Amino acid sequence: MIRLRQLVRVALLSAEMGLRHAATDAFVIFAVFVQPLIIAVLGLFMLRERGGDYGMFVVVGSGLTGLWSSLLFVSGNAITTERWTGTLEVLVGMPTPLWVVVLGKNLAHVLQSLGSMVLAYVAASLLFGYPLTIAQPVPFLISLVFIVISFVCFGLLLSPLFIVNPDVQRFQNGLEYPIYILCGFLFPILLLPGWTNPVSYALSPYWAARALHAAAAGEATAASLALDWGLMLALGAAYIALSAFLFKRLLDKARRDATLGFQ
Amino acid sequence: MIRSLTLNTRLFFRGAYLSYVALFAWLRPVTYLASKVVGPLMQILFFALLGSFATGADTIDFYVIGNAVHVVALSGVFGVSMSIGGDRWNGTLPYLFGTPANRLAIFVGRAIIHVLDGMVGVFLGLLWGVLLLGLDLMQTDPAALALTILVTSFSTAGLGLMLGALSLITVNVMFVNNFVYFALLIFSGTNIPIDRLPAWMQAVSSGLPLTRGLAAARAIIDGASLPAVSGLLVEELLIGLGYILIGYVFFRWFEIQAKRRGTLDLL
Repeated sequence: MIRLRQLVRVALLSAEMGLRHAATDAFVIFAVFVQPLIIAVLGLFMLRERGGDYGMFVVVGSGLTGLWSSLLFVSGNAITTERWTGTLEVLVGMPTPLWVVVLGKNLAHVLQSLGSMVLAYVAASLLFGYPLTIAQPVPFLISLVFIVISFVCFGLLLSPLFIVNPDVQRFQNGLEYPIYILCGFLFPILLLPGWTNPVSYALSPYWAARALHAAAAGEATAASLALDWGLMLALGAAYIALSAFLFKRLLDKARRDATLGFQ
Repeated sequence: MIRSLTLNTRLFFRGAYLSYVALFAWLRPVTYLASKVVGPLMQILFFALLGSFATGADTIDFYVIGNAVHVVALSGVFGVSMSIGGDRWNGTLPYLFGTPANRLAIFVGRAIIHVLDGMVGVFLGLLWGVLLLGLDLMQTDPAALALTILVTSFSTAGLGLMLGALSLITVNVMFVNNFVYFALLIFSGTNIPIDRLPAWMQAVSSGLPLTRGLAAARAIIDGASLPAVSGLLVEELLIGLGYILIGYVFFRWFEIQAKRRGTLDLL
C-alpha cells in the first residue's frame, strides 16, 4: 500500500512537471491547440456542404486529432526527450520504475490535449455560429474518462516502441493522418476498404471516436457504450501488457550495450 | 565582371547543393520516405476521403489535386526555411556573414534544390492520386502541368525564404512554419474553393503563393491549355518574387543590424 502511494506520488509529480514543460513548448502548443483548430476550421467549411448539424461532429473529430497528435509527438517522445536532456540515466537508476514516470507524463499530455476539444468548440460556436449541444452529456463525459485511461495506456506503448525501434520513430510524421483515417475521427470508416476494419478495431481511438460521436449526436445506447468502453479498457490492458515487454526489452538492451544515453 | 558572374554562379549552385546535403535528417532513406512520401500520401488520402464524405464522391478530384499540389509547401516552407535557419542553429552564421560572398546568390541558392524536390513531391502526389483514387490525367498537357508545378514550387519556396530570414531572429520558427503549412490548407484553395471563403479570407488567399498555381493546375488537369492559365502563372511567379525580395531585405537587414550591434555571435 505504501509502495503504491509512493508510485502514485511520483506519477503525479511527473505529470505536474510534464504539464509545466508542455505549457511553454511552442511545438506542443501547436500540435495540441493550433493544428486541431485549423482542422476544425477545415472540417466546418468542408462539411457545411453536407447540411445538417455537423458542428458537434467536427468539434469531437478535431478534438480527437489533437489528442492523437499529443499522444504521438509528445507522449511518444517521453523517453526520447529524457535522453536528449541527459536525464534518462538518472530516471532509470531510480528505484521508481521508468514506466511510472512515463505514465505521469502521458496523463498530463492527454489531459492537456482535451483542451483542443474545448478550443474547437469555441471556434465552432463563436466563429461559425453553430448551436452546439451534446445530446447525451453524461455518457459523453464518462466516455472522456475512458478515453483518458485508454490513451494514457496507448502512450505507454508508443514511448518505448520509438526507442526500441528508431525506424518507427522516423515514421512519426507519417503516423498522424493514418489514425485520423482508420479511427473515423472526421468520416466513417465505411468509406475505407473492408480489409482495413480489423486494424481500426485494434485501435482504442476508434472506439473513443465511436463513443463520443454517438453520445454527442444522441445515438448512443447502453449496448453500444458498453462495447465502446469495454473495448477501450481491454485494448488499454493489451497496450499495457505490450508496453511492459517493451520497457523490459528497452532497459535490458540499453544496460547490456551501455547505450542508455546514446542518441 | 565575367569573373564575378562566374564566381557568383558557382557560389549559387555550390551553396544550393551543400545546403540540401546539410539537411541530414531528410537524406536518410527512412526519414525521407516518412516525411516526403508516406506523409503526403496520408494527407492526400485523409482530405480526399473527408472531401468525398463532405461533398460527394464525384468531387474527390478537387481534393486529390489540391493536396497533391499542396505538397510543394513541404519543401518550400520547411526545407527552404530550415536551410536558412540551419546556419543559425549550427553556429555557421557568423562565418557566412563574415565572407564577401554575394548575399543574393547565397540566399536564393538555398531554395533551388528544394524547388526541384517540391516538384518531385507533387508528381508523386499526383501519381498516388492516379493509382489509388482514380485521378484522370488524360486531358492534361504534361508540359503545361510541369511548368505550373515548377512556378508554384518556386513561389512557395519564395515564402520559405522569407520565413527562413525570419528564423534568424525568432526561436519559434517551427511553430511559424507549421502554422503557415497548415494555414495554406485553408487559404490556398487546397480543400475549400476560394469563392466559398469570406471576403477577408479571400483577400489573404490572393496574397499567398500556391493559390493561383493550384487554380492553374486544376484547370490544366481539366484540359485547359497553357495560354489559358498563363495569367495565373505570371501572377504566381510575381508573388514568389515578391516574397523573395521581402525575405532578402530581411536577410540583409538582420546582417547589418547584427554587425552594427555586435550581436552576430548571439544570432
